This record gives sequence, structure tokens and C-alpha cells, in this order.
Amino acid sequence: MSTLPQTVIKGVRVNAQPGQRPVHIDGHTTIPALLRARCQENGSATAHRAKDLGIWQAYSWADYLDRVRDIALGMRALGLQRGQVISILSEDRLEWIHCDMAAQCLGAISSGVYTTDSPSQLAYLVNDSDTQILFVENDEQLDKFLAVEGQMPGLKQVVIFDKEGLHDFRHEKCLFLSDLVDRGRGGSVAEFDASIDAVQPGDTAVLIYTSGTTGNPKGVMLTHENIMAGMEVSLYNLPFTKGAEQLCFLPLCHILERIVSLYTPLIVSSTVNFAESPETVFDNLREISPHGFVAVPRVWEKIYSRVLLMAQESTLIGRWAFAQALKAGRARAECLLDDRPVPAGVALRYRIWDFLVLANLRRMLGMDRIIHGLTGAAPISPDLLRWYFAIGVPVYEGWGMSETSGIGTINLPGANKVGSIGQTCAGIETRIAPDGEIQVKGLNVFSGYLNKPDKTAEAFTEDGWMRTGDVGRIDNQGFVTITGRMKDIIITAGGKNITPAEIESRLKFSHYISDAVIIGDRRKYLTCLIMIDQENVEKYAQDNKVPFSDFRSLCRAEPVLDLIRREVEAVNKEFARVEQIKDFRLIDVLLTAEDEELTATMKLKRATVEQRHKALIDAMY
Amino acid sequence: MSALLEVRNLETFYGPIMAIRGVSLEVHKGQVVTVLGANGAGKTTLLKTISGIMDPEKGQILFEGEEIQGREPHQVVRRGIVQVPEGREVFPLLTVEENLALGAYTRSDKAEIARDRDMVFSYFPILAERRLQEAGTLSGGQQQMLAIGRGLMLRPKIMLLDEPSLGLSPLLTQEIFTILRRLNEDEGVTMMLVEQNAAVALDLADQGYVMELGRIVMSDTAEKLAASEDIRSFYLGHANEGARGERRWKKRKTWR
Repeated sequence: MSTLPQTVIKGVRVNAQPGQRPVHIDGHTTIPALLRARCQENGSATAHRAKDLGIWQAYSWADYLDRVRDIALGMRALGLQRGQVISILSEDRLEWIHCDMAAQCLGAISSGVYTTDSPSQLAYLVNDSDTQILFVENDEQLDKFLAVEGQMPGLKQVVIFDKEGLHDFRHEKCLFLSDLVDRGRGGSVAEFDASIDAVQPGDTAVLIYTSGTTGNPKGVMLTHENIMAGMEVSLYNLPFTKGAEQLCFLPLCHILERIVSLYTPLIVSSTVNFAESPETVFDNLREISPHGFVAVPRVWEKIYSRVLLMAQESTLIGRWAFAQALKAGRARAECLLDDRPVPAGVALRYRIWDFLVLANLRRMLGMDRIIHGLTGAAPISPDLLRWYFAIGVPVYEGWGMSETSGIGTINLPGANKVGSIGQTCAGIETRIAPDGEIQVKGLNVFSGYLNKPDKTAEAFTEDGWMRTGDVGRIDNQGFVTITGRMKDIIITAGGKNITPAEIESRLKFSHYISDAVIIGDRRKYLTCLIMIDQENVEKYAQDNKVPFSDFRSLCRAEPVLDLIRREVEAVNKEFARVEQIKDFRLIDVLLTAEDEELTATMKLKRATVEQRHKALIDAMY
Repeated sequence: MSALLEVRNLETFYGPIMAIRGVSLEVHKGQVVTVLGANGAGKTTLLKTISGIMDPEKGQILFEGEEIQGREPHQVVRRGIVQVPEGREVFPLLTVEENLALGAYTRSDKAEIARDRDMVFSYFPILAERRLQEAGTLSGGQQQMLAIGRGLMLRPKIMLLDEPSLGLSPLLTQEIFTILRRLNEDEGVTMMLVEQNAAVALDLADQGYVMELGRIVMSDTAEKLAASEDIRSFYLGHANEGARGERRWKKRKTWR
């Protein structure tokens, strides 16, 4: 079909020059076509594993296609048309993927809703996307629909995954997934195949709502071509090959997990294992021992904290051995990170300590098979990356947005600069605009925001580059570094421009600070609201005999305030005089993902925080 | 004013299992302080650690400004800390009077002891009626009264009450709590009250703490706790039935 020169990577045929039309993977230009081909090729090999009553159950690629076909034909029977939207309100699970793919096989559009969203947020998303069929996980999520039913006149049907506790439930708009499957079963395979063949690369495949730190969330429209282009790029960059095991645990609504758990398997035929629940991720990680692990900084931090706690609670000899092993690991990591050859002595010392300690540690964490780890979606502390290199788990930072199909720049083995977000991926272009903004161009860049032509227009420059909203720089080797967000630039009363993100991420690198928001727009000086890391600060208080009862009293304890003050002062030393944080306050409520102050990835939303904690802020001026 | 009893960063283990993971709290003179929590939260362990039955791994217990953690129970009792144990634990084969006399074991002032016994009988008249009966033959409620009476015989500076409502009918629970209130108001007895029955406990207490998995997750005045959303739905049974009128799933606790 294509006359472009071809190449084969990891057994997959793509264009030799990435980022060119037609974008294809093994000759398929749309996701459903690729899905069908992969399922047929891999047949009885395991595509997914999920736990049922605590036992891992395997599901084959053939099951995958059968399920998707039944659901797709069921949706068709409910009247779903090409270009219409379905929404999925569920934690990660097999059915999520089935429904998402089924919609795309019909040429319909799939949109994910976070389970932490409130009923009113759900109503907004359903109405904005004009959702026809809403899939809900269970009775808890169903209650959200019922609470705002009257506000969603356009919604035709609700399909419930889990029957538990709902056997007596009857509602004219609701049916169970098993009923939908029954309706689709025995439908025409030819009809299903025809609908897959009718999907065009330019059709919108998915809607991804961005958390939107200001205003309502915006629906990012990604076409099949956008996503295929993102997949082509990830073929080069993600640490997965045929038959690799991976763990699915971040919300599938987020582009990062979509790329990793939905699309990567379609490229390389890897196996996806679903974590039982967000609370069991670390246990599941150990059970699966995946070949690659892609996570957000918060997860990497959690694992690090757990290891430190374990080390502290071990015997004297254990602690000594761990310290020695870490030292040997660090010496080697320094050479690796600086691209220097590892001296024989250092290598030998590492080999010994690796054998004695680090290999066991990795096995305990479930990281003994990891080729390399990836982190993205938020800035990560360089020290943390170095620590992972030291224990023998190389973790690389990458960057992408929903608007760029989740991919943009990445650090890779051999091309890694800690602290940067890596070099621009092949097939994508980046540049720095005169005002410092990072701009992106490529086939992976989205087609627009749904129903928001003005926002779409704002997102692109006149010459067709996408404005990322991030400020940064590109060095002479092509490594990109982000220094802040355009929108967040603070202009102090003295007229100085300050990018708060740079200061905030420095603060966040402290183990005691989970997130921070710098305040100071049109103010005399900078101040800061800080969300402390509960676990580490509690540990600090315990170790230093600081009495506290609940979270609020922890935040008010003088020694805790002193601790944070020291952290703030340490950060202040790195910045110019106008960028000094003069005062700070701790947010003394323990925020959860349900709170509007936090995004789904547990980042503070500046606007909401500023508004909700106005009293705290005013007290500082 | 410094607290009568102050617990700081307490950690207590059962073998390798950490039952109390850093608890700090205060009880002031004349106050009733309640500690709420589900099974296994560490409430009883907390009381046992204060009264010396268990030794903490870490942390301090200050009573009248002095550290008492790790002391033997009999030394702790002599300082005026009395624990009324869970499930009554009266001496079943001794009479009511003998049980009360044991409560005054550390004292030798006969006249005062007799006066205190009369005081106990005035609060619990039923015990006076049955003073010669074996404690094991009393009803559950009466045994609870006896256990409280036995504690009072020490003239404690603080009473640690471990689930006085356990296994009692609502009516009896009400009765016992009414007497506890009178003891607090009239005799000025300071109490630390561990309870699962949050409604009665918060009604009686001035101050409350909520424990979960060995940690304190919430602390406030009893009044504010009783009004808090989470306490209402998780401890006081004010369920929001949701849109379907029947709700199986639980809202996540936020403790605020």
C-alpha cells in the first residue's frame, strides 16, 4: 500500500522514517484494524490477566476479539452510530478495554471518566461529549448517574458492568453488560468487519478530558492517525517486546495508561495484567514482576519510601549492608549517568553488592525483570532517578500531553540527561518560541478540543505548531527542559516575571512536601501553600517525639513547621532575591482524589487552591 | 494548664505487629475524653499501655507531669490511675463487698474507705441490696456497675473505662452513662472512655479522638465530632441512602 521505505523494529513493520503519512503498524492504519489483526495472529496466547476472587485468570487474544465483537454489535443494536460518543466510568478492568475498543470498532468515540469525579462533573462530561451510552462499573458509580439523571437528557442508555448488589434493580435506561453481550452475540461477523473497515485514519477515536486547572475540562479529540503516530513513536521508545508482562494500574482515562496498557499491547503483543485495586498495586507488582513499568512520580516516590522504611526497620547488619550496596550502586550509577565507562573496581564492587543485596531488593519489589522504567505526567526529583539507577532499576523521564497522544520527548538508555525531559522523539518536532514556550508539531498532535473552537485556535500558532503551555529550553544536544507553565507566570507587584513551577518542583523534591503552590501574582512578595507528605512527616514527627493527634494537629506542630521552613529555606537558596518565598502555610486538611483541589494524578490545582484557601493566603499578606 | 494525663508518640507492639502507631493525646483534670474506633483500632491496647499492663516500644506517658511509661501496673495504680477492664472482669466468687474492698487494696484509711463504699452504694443502690451476693451471680449490668464501683474505691485521679456499654441493653447503657455523668459532674472524676457506642460516648464526653489502625485520625470537641459528616455516617449510623434507597458501597472516609 505504501511506497515509503519500510523497517522492522521488534518484529513490527513501520515506516523507516517515522512521522510520515500514511502512519501504519504492520500495514494497519486504524486501531480497530490493528486490534483485529493482532487478535487473529496471537489467537490463544494470553492478552490479559485479571484477578477473580484473588486468583489470576488469563484471557486470550481470541477472547479479546470475541468480547469486543459482542459488545460492539450490542452497542450497534442499541443504536450507536459512527461518530457518536460513549463514556466509561470505571476503575481499570477488562471490561473497560473491551468497551473502549468496541466503540472504536464501530467508528464511535470513547471517553473515559475518572471514578473520583463527582455526579455533577459526570453530568458535565456526558453533556459536553453528547454521550449516548454510559458504561458504569458498579452500584457506587451507578448512584452517580442516578443522582444527576435529570440533568443528562441526551443520554440514551446506561450499561452496568458489575451486577453485585443490583439484582433487584430495574431502570428503563439501564441494562447490564451481560445483557448487552447477549444482544450482540450471534450478530453478524461480516457486519462487524465491515464497520472496522469503514473506520478512517482521520476519524476521531477517543476523547480525553484534560483536568483543566482553570475552568471546565476540555475534551481533547484524538484521531486514529494521531494515536497510530503516537504508537509508532512508542515502538521505538517503550521497553516492551512480544510476550512482555505489564501491569495496568493508573487510570485508563489518562493518556499515559492508555498508551501503555491499551495501545502498546497492540503494537508488540505484550500481556496486560490488571492490578486488583489502587491499594494492591505493590503486591500485584511483585506477583507479576513486569518487564517494563511506566508510572507517575508519586508511585516511584512511594516505592522509594517503602524501601527506606524497610531498611530502617531491619537489623543493624541489614542496614549496614543496604548502605554499602547503595554506595556501590551510586558509584556505578554516576558513571552510567555521565556516560563514562565504569571502572573495573566500581563494576566489581557493584556486582558483589548486587548479588548480596540489590538483586534481592529488586525481587522483593517485583522489579527483577524490568528492562527499564519510565516516569512522566509530572516532574520527578533527579535524586530519586539517581537512586533508582543505583539499585539497578534504570528509570527514564519522558514527557507528553493528552494533546500529543501522550508522547513528545523521552530520555533513553544512551541518551539520558537527568533533570531534562529528554530528546524529542523521532517523528516529532519541537521548538522554543521567542517567549520561551515549547511548541510541538507532528502527526500525533490532536485535532482540536470538542465544542471549543476558540480554545482550539488558541492552542495552535499561525504556522500550525501546537502551543504546549510549558516554558522551557532545548540544549545543543536536543535535550528539552521544562521550567514552568505559561499561564502560571506570576507578575509580582514589583513587575518581575516569575515561573512558579520551577520553584514548586524544587519544593516537591523534598520528601516532606507532596505538592506546593506558589502565590504572588500582583502581590508584594512570593508565598506558598504546601501540602505535606503525610507518611514521611508523620514518621519524622514520630522519630523526633513531636506529639500530634490527627492530620490537622500534625500540620500545626511547631517542629513540623520548622521542618518545612528548613526545606523552604533550602529551596530559597537556589533562587534569586525576587524569587524568595517569604512565608508559607500548610494545607491542614488531608486532600483525597475526590477533592476538587486535586487533579486525578494528585496534583494541586492552582486556581481551586487559591480560591478555597483564600483565608490562608490573605493571612500571609 | 498542663494536662493530667498526656500521651506522646506512643508505639506499642504485639510481637512484630504494631498495634499503636504513634498516638498522642491529652486528658485534662475533670474532663471526660473518649476514644472511638472500630475493632482492632488499638483502643484497648492504648488503655493497657497507659495502665502498665503493656509496655510501649516508644513514646512517653506523662501523668501529673511525670513519666510513667513502662512502669508495673501496681505502681501505676498507686498513682491514681484505675482501669475498668473490658467485659467487667469482677471476681465472680467474691461477694459485692469483697470486690469493692479489693478496689481499695492500696488504701489503709478504714473510715474513709467505708465512706467511699457508701458513696458507691449511693450511686448504685442495687449493689447495696446485693452486697453479700457473689459477684458471678449478678446480671451483666450489675457487674458493670460493680466494676465501676470497684474502680471508684481507689479514689482515682483518672478512670480508664474500656467499653462500659459492651453487652448491655440500650436501657442499661443509658443508666450506666447517666451515673458516669453524675460521677464526673458531682465527684469530679476524670475519665478516659474507650467506646464503640459513639452516640452515648460523645454525649458524655467533652473531648474526643477517633482511632483507626493504630493512629488517631480525628480529634476535636465531642460536640464537633458528633456533627462531623464522617462520624455521623460511620459511627452514628446516619446513612445517606443514595439515589436508590439502598446503598451497599461506602463513601471514603476523609476525617474532617
